[in-house]
Amino acid sequence: MTVNYSLVIFAGSGLLLLLAMAWLAFSGTRRQEKVAGNGPLERECLHISRLPQIKQALANSDFVYLKEQGHPALAKRIRKERRRISLVYLACLRVEFEKLLHLARMVAVMSPNVAVAQEVQGLRLNFEFSCRYYLIYLRLVSGVAPLEAIGSLTNMVSALTVRMETAMSELGERAALSAELSPHNGGGLDAGG
Amino acid sequence: MAIKLQPIVEIVWVASFVVQLALCGILVIFGHFRRLPFFTLYVCLNLCQALFLYFIYQHYGDRSQVAYVAGWWSEAITLLARLFATIEILHLVLISYRGIWGLAWRLLAATSVVVLLFVSVGSWGNARQALIRADRGYHLIFAVALILCLAMIRYYFIHVDNAYKVLLVGFCFYSCVKILLNTVLYNFLNHLDSPYATVWQILAVSPYLIVLLFWGAALLHPLPTMREQQAVLPASIYGRISPEINLQLQAINKQLMNFWRIEGP
Repeated sequence: MTVNYSLVIFAGSGLLLLLAMAWLAFSGTRRQEKVAGNGPLERECLHISRLPQIKQALANSDFVYLKEQGHPALAKRIRKERRRISLVYLACLRVEFEKLLHLARMVAVMSPNVAVAQEVQGLRLNFEFSCRYYLIYLRLVSGVAPLEAIGSLTNMVSALTVRMETAMSELGERAALSAELSPHNGGGLDAGG
Repeated sequence: MAIKLQPIVEIVWVASFVVQLALCGILVIFGHFRRLPFFTLYVCLNLCQALFLYFIYQHYGDRSQVAYVAGWWSEAITLLARLFATIEILHLVLISYRGIWGLAWRLLAATSVVVLLFVSVGSWGNARQALIRADRGYHLIFAVALILCLAMIRYYFIHVDNAYKVLLVGFCFYSCVKILLNTVLYNFLNHLDSPYATVWQILAVSPYLIVLLFWGAALLHPLPTMREQQAVLPASIYGRISPEINLQLQAINKQLMNFWRIEGP
């Protein structure tokens, strides 16, 4: 019985490690492309800054009005459209989150010293975000999530993006300055990312 | 006393020996030994081990006490050399990223300790199988640490040149195969009165032969030139920016949590 227990654990570990290795070896650097990409979602996400308009589009009043006026087909169509917008919007929020994470990793890659605690925390937050993102995604798909709640989340991410852009431009200036001051430096801000 | 090895085992051994010899030649001719001294040492030691064990098996038989002791001691030496070779390659990959190399180094150490504890608990109480379990434990620690390092390299979008990638994946693949062999083969074939040693020899050498072929093909090309140090930011920037980003990411997570809790209209 002990032998079987050990067998299952170690054989399972061996197989899992083989699969993980194959994934790491053959999956390439798609994530980087995804973050840096300029696909249809990226283009749609340009509207993430148009928060008031999107909030207006998601407002409940129009929906209530249509129901009261006796247009069930139109109300149904609008409900479907709203759900689609919500899903695209959630995907955009994820893109924003990924961009921020990408910045965090770039800073780590270009730094001479990296704190384990900070990196572990970043990894944990990424994991938590992914779990919650998929939970909310499922909730939206199933039609039980409140659309208004997206507004507060978007405010948060938009504000964060602005702050991080400011921080990164400051970081770029400092890096350029340090490169000028250090005669042995061969790298640059665009390197390593 | 001498016992002739099975022909199939001899074929696999000779093939492995020839390919290792060719790999040594590639390492010397292309000058890779300058950049990869520990890896070259590892390949040479494996070559010596193959020769040494072949003669031991020829003279004392593959199931003798001498063969047993010689086999495990020579294995311990090559495993040590493999460890240094892997660290050398990881260092070459991450040499341009000082902070990440520091992180990788700590990750390797921490993982090794954790997996060592796991292996010790899993292998407790059976002295007869101690060596085979120690070997399996080593490969498990090695594979886990290496995979975590590869995952970390991917996480930080660090580019790994093809040659180094093939070398690292080869090490990892062989360790995973050895874990499976030491577990499955030992638990099944050893109890079925089967030609265990012959099957073992073939299954242990064949994957290594495949790895050697891939290594040889990868090393036929020149190794990438050493890149400049990528760490261009003062340490204080990381100390300031990183906690800020984490705080903001944490805040987004809280918002997501609130989003989940908000009730619909």
